[in-house]
Amino acid sequence: MPITVLIVDDEKDFREALCGRLRVRRFNVLAADSGEAALGVLREHPVDVVVLDVRMPGMSGIATTRAIKHSYPLVEIILLTGHGSLDASLEGMALGAFDYLLKPARIDELVYKVQDAYSRKTDQEEKIRRLQFSTDRRDSGE
Amino acid sequence: MAAFSRIAALVRSWASRLHTEAKDFDPAELATAQEDLRARYRALRLLLSANTKALGLMAEMEIAAAGDRPVDMAFIRARCTALVVSVYQMVRQLNAMADGRYASLFDSIHRVKEQLRLVLEERSRDADAPLVVPLQAVDRSIRGIVGAKMGHLGEIRNVLKLRVPDGFVVTARAQEMFFLENDLWPEIDRLLLAAPPEGAHELFALASRIRQTIIAAELPAEIRQAIEGAYDELSKEMGCAPTLAVRSSALDEDAVGASFAGQYHSVLNVRRENLAGAYREVVSSMYTAQAIEYRLQRGLRDDRNRMCVGCQVMIDARVGGVAYTGHPSDPEDRNVHISAAVGLPMAVVDGRSLTDTVVVSRAEPRSILRQTIASKTLQFVCDAEEGVERQEVPEQLKRSPALDAADALHLADQALRLEEHFGSPQDLEWALGRDGELFILQSRPMQQLMRVDRESTREEAGPPLVRGGLCASPGVAAGPVRWVRRDSDALAFSEGDVLVLPQPLPDFAALLSRAVAVVSEQGGIAGHLATVARELGLPALFAVEGAGALDEGKTVTVDADNLAIYAGRSERLLAGQVSKRSLASDSPVHRALTRVMEFIAPLNLLDPDAVSFRPENCVTLHDITRFCHEQAVRETFDVSRDSKFPRIASKQLHHKVRMQWWILDLDDGLADDVHGKYVRLEQINCAPFHALWEGMTVVPWEGPPAVDGRGLASVIFEATTNPALGTTVGPQQQQGNYFMISRQFMNLQARFGMHFCVVEALAGDRDEENYLTFTFKGGAADDTRREARARFIADLLEERGFAVIVHGDTTAARVAGLTRDNVLFQVKVIGYLLMHTRQLDMIMANPLTVERYRAKIRADLDDLPRTLGDKINVQDDGNRTRERRDNPREETP
Repeated sequence: MPITVLIVDDEKDFREALCGRLRVRRFNVLAADSGEAALGVLREHPVDVVVLDVRMPGMSGIATTRAIKHSYPLVEIILLTGHGSLDASLEGMALGAFDYLLKPARIDELVYKVQDAYSRKTDQEEKIRRLQFSTDRRDSGE
Repeated sequence: MAAFSRIAALVRSWASRLHTEAKDFDPAELATAQEDLRARYRALRLLLSANTKALGLMAEMEIAAAGDRPVDMAFIRARCTALVVSVYQMVRQLNAMADGRYASLFDSIHRVKEQLRLVLEERSRDADAPLVVPLQAVDRSIRGIVGAKMGHLGEIRNVLKLRVPDGFVVTARAQEMFFLENDLWPEIDRLLLAAPPEGAHELFALASRIRQTIIAAELPAEIRQAIEGAYDELSKEMGCAPTLAVRSSALDEDAVGASFAGQYHSVLNVRRENLAGAYREVVSSMYTAQAIEYRLQRGLRDDRNRMCVGCQVMIDARVGGVAYTGHPSDPEDRNVHISAAVGLPMAVVDGRSLTDTVVVSRAEPRSILRQTIASKTLQFVCDAEEGVERQEVPEQLKRSPALDAADALHLADQALRLEEHFGSPQDLEWALGRDGELFILQSRPMQQLMRVDRESTREEAGPPLVRGGLCASPGVAAGPVRWVRRDSDALAFSEGDVLVLPQPLPDFAALLSRAVAVVSEQGGIAGHLATVARELGLPALFAVEGAGALDEGKTVTVDADNLAIYAGRSERLLAGQVSKRSLASDSPVHRALTRVMEFIAPLNLLDPDAVSFRPENCVTLHDITRFCHEQAVRETFDVSRDSKFPRIASKQLHHKVRMQWWILDLDDGLADDVHGKYVRLEQINCAPFHALWEGMTVVPWEGPPAVDGRGLASVIFEATTNPALGTTVGPQQQQGNYFMISRQFMNLQARFGMHFCVVEALAGDRDEENYLTFTFKGGAADDTRREARARFIADLLEERGFAVIVHGDTTAARVAGLTRDNVLFQVKVIGYLLMHTRQLDMIMANPLTVERYRAKIRADLDDLPRTLGDKINVQDDGNRTRERRDNPREETP
């Protein structure tokens, strides 16, 4: 099953180019041009991994990270930014971002990160499923 | 060192539980335990990947700190950020494996981050400085907020009391506020990182993008009000609404001497309503192509550079120009050299048209020694509305002296007074107002360089292609001729070319750092381009009428000292030339890099078995990575914590006999059908494991090298006196290899006789994550032989591309960023070495035997591909030690 990736970046050229590159690599790709728009997409579609720019007008990448983790805790977030900021990077990681990459990033590296993020998501889902299963078993008196 | 490391002890205790039968336990619980181990392994993999990335970044920064390649602050900031993130990732994964027991390491990261931030941040110290300072309050002592140019002018006005156009300075603090409120530094970093200026084309494009960003940014209301308020004050004093000259006055905290050339920009004849725009334009000139190159070559920090902006009453000059209290390339000539043009002095600086030259004697009574009256065609004048325009010089002024004798002498007097006050020869800009009043517009130290007369070598060089001209900057250099007549020609200009111009226009100053010499058909020694050439120590020959004889692409040798250009490369002339300045090792950028490396690279936690190997003792980022890596491997082994669930039994390798090889499958390293206590070779699916086995078995070991009497005795002696090697521990139990494997991964903790070693390898499809480390310590013989053996093995590994470090009795070798096949080949090399260097200690004192052995090992290793029948490419040039792939990079758009 293809991995669903949501690209969130206010810069149109970059966003569209990255979407194209990831589609070639057989990812199922969605796009949004702002934090608010991203949350809108998440409401309508199941998403595995979000690739998010840190510096956006309006809702910042950090604020978006916080909001996504709050409502969709299993969705993994990769922060991809042109700005190397020590503070923003640690803040993003502490909020639960999977990773923080600097542009220009090699497409290979980004793909590996998306794959690893997806693995983590499925691991977490599996863990929850097993916990649920064993709880169910216990509850049903086995 | 204890006989067994703590890990080996852990593993031994765990391996001894072999007899727990899995079938006695609930399959669901067994599955959970299996899944738990797999989850641990996945966390370990993420940690290992982050570790490899972190080590690669550290290596990259160390190479930058040591090498000649100039880097900028954007590079340093980006690497530091990526490093901090990688280390965070490692700490996160370790805590995931260890139930958060190492949360204190997050604090360690924050501590280091704070230290890095202090070095990297852009904020200056003057938080309370005013935004605007009137010129009457300026002198050199406040050049820290007004920049060198305006600082000097304030001094000239207020201390020397010479005529300087009135006005005010917009300070460094204003520029900082402007940049901070618009988040400009991070944005500039982003542009610098996205398009490092490799060639002239990229440099100009990058400069343009950055400048546009600055010009488009909004000026904070506070600054705008301060500027307009200062203008209104000025206007009130003068009783009219003057137009202003808005000029750069740069400040570099760390490079006082270098703050003049490299940055210049003025906007002339500006009205009140356009002051804000002119201010932004001048500030943006911090990022002209020339300025970017200039800082890069010198290692100056753009984040500590400040552009102060002087706003002065515009002098509608009748005559203007430049004066030097000496000659830029002839220290013997100490007379005053004046260049004069009709109209605004920018005609001289601009280099576009011919100007008069007047030489006034320094000696009193002052007199005009000689003068050259040029045929002046163009002048710059103030437009009636705003700005400046070029006009033709009226016929009657074309061939008469722009400057009359009295004015020339008066100017020379003032110039020499400036020299006396500032204590060094001065380069000044001057203007005569419509009322004949002399104004000083700028004064700075004159760049002085030595000319050399190469009479003897000149004769050998043969007849020159071109003769004559003016030596704007001394020196000799050779390269291909590159004519630059238009902007588009500039884009094709390459490193090492000789820049040839019809006129020495300031626009092309950015090319000088790539050029070896500059030649111009017109111009004099006083223009901007000449000044920058001298700053860079670049040979420059101007006013070369015959330059048309220089053919595009042909190599020539420019001898600026002797006013000649020769065909081809004249080695005799070039010999003895001082090479162009390269990045000073104590430049501000380099200092910043060195300082951040202090918090990143040094390794304090060396020995994982030492008591001091604890999270509290992690000081640098390297310490944290080391601790996390070691600890994570232990956590993977550490199965003794929760005894409620059965442990997944490790298997014992059975190959003809039961071997002391214990295998723990972390994920997918064993075939599905392995039950019970034993596993056969063909049931193991781990590629690095098989590579190691092959390496060990491919060349039969012929037993210990024949030992000389002394050697064997030393082994026996050591064994009887060292309680750790005592007789209570029989030879069988001393031997043992403990493997943790998956399909791509292997970690081996091994004892081979008296030696203890760890081999860890990842051989997957992601080249950049692949690596191999080999660490060993111990040995049976005395310290000297043991160290000799360590050195012997280290040398062999270094020859084969490993990065090797020796600490005490531990030797650690690492190679990374290789393709899967290449990593596996290196694992075979390690396998071979493990087998064939076991008893070397005993012969280490005998140099002849050592050499024979070294030769044999080298020969075996060189032959290894053939012996193994491998068809892979063994050469992986330079990749290993630099921990980077060489493959072509595809980048995200």
